[in-house]
Amino acid sequence: MPDRFAAGDRVRTGTVDPPHHTRLPRYARGVCGEVVATAGHHPLADERARGLPSTPRAVYCVRFAAHDLFGEGDHAVVVELFEDYLEPAEREVRR
Amino acid sequence: MSATHDATHDEAPIAARVRHVEALLEQRGWLAPGEVDERIDALAAGGSPANGAAIVARAWVDPGFRARLLADANTAIGELGLSMAGGLQEQQLIVVANGPDEHHVVVCTLCSCYPIALLGPSPGWYKSEAYRSRVVREPRAVLREFGLELPASTRITVWDASAESRYMVLPRRPAGTDDLDEGRLAALVTRKGLIGTAAV
Amino acid sequence: MSRINDVGGMVGFPAIVEEPDEPAFHADWEAHVVALNAALLRRGVYDLDEFRDAIERIPPREYLAASYYEKWFRAITTLLAEKGIATPEELAGA
Repeated sequence: MPDRFAAGDRVRTGTVDPPHHTRLPRYARGVCGEVVATAGHHPLADERARGLPSTPRAVYCVRFAAHDLFGEGDHAVVVELFEDYLEPAEREVRR
Repeated sequence: MSATHDATHDEAPIAARVRHVEALLEQRGWLAPGEVDERIDALAAGGSPANGAAIVARAWVDPGFRARLLADANTAIGELGLSMAGGLQEQQLIVVANGPDEHHVVVCTLCSCYPIALLGPSPGWYKSEAYRSRVVREPRAVLREFGLELPASTRITVWDASAESRYMVLPRRPAGTDDLDEGRLAALVTRKGLIGTAAV
Repeated sequence: MSRINDVGGMVGFPAIVEEPDEPAFHADWEAHVVALNAALLRRGVYDLDEFRDAIERIPPREYLAASYYEKWFRAITTLLAEKGIATPEELAGA
């Protein structure tokens, strides 16, 4: 499957709080950020942790403004996220 | 030990419990005799902050290497005879470069991901809940606690190693080091500098 | 259902403590735990995500009270029991 996103794309992270292992940190859920790079292709950690078969998919470095994550701060945080955690963010919606 | 004793609250010293599990696994063929000692030797002979320092020093003296390092670190570090393949499988290394107005700092908020195969074990503070919780939220305050006061104009980027890649910071070459050769430059680089909690 | 390991952005943790001249391991057993884990991962007894998952499932009170490599050892024994390699009683030496 081709990658869904590329550097420069705006994305929004999921809000689901799964009952199992995941690599989408709570602080980075439900926020918009920008893809800065593709960081390889890997099986989904959520599936591997449960002993499920998993095919490689894209993993991205996504940059967030601290203000969007925490409501304060002038820094940026880049989080490495599996494609499954991301949806396109067509337009900026301020929370 | 009583039958009602909960194994998870075992009061035997942990060293004894580790030895016991090791012996049990050897007895049942899940570990080869001597396998654990071999792995301990391999760990000790594996990564070291000196590898990171050598990479940084080369990047300071060789702009071509610096460019290759930032574009594809795994291939570039091969020029120094180094590799990210020392663990279970080769991991991608991403090197982020500090600049005059830009500072990077690395964390793993979910566990403690770190380029162990290249740099050896991470420091205890890197694995602490205090560092993992705070640095994404208030990096300036955290860096100040480490004695690193950055100008308000410096943009800070925190890299959360939340998935598969491992991260290393390329610090700025200190002023007044024009006369130093690569080996002397490498001696300036600290493990904290490679994580981003020190300037170098 | 967020787990106790997911501490990024949480407030209330104290100042960061640096240990001067910190050794790689503070006791032999810590190196043994790391080596044991590496051997079991190589053998495919479990994978790295299962190992992380086992750490995350440690009850919060115990997670926060345990040292780093105590958490590792606990996760290893949890997985050995769950994979049927040995019973919890056998692992505890009962």
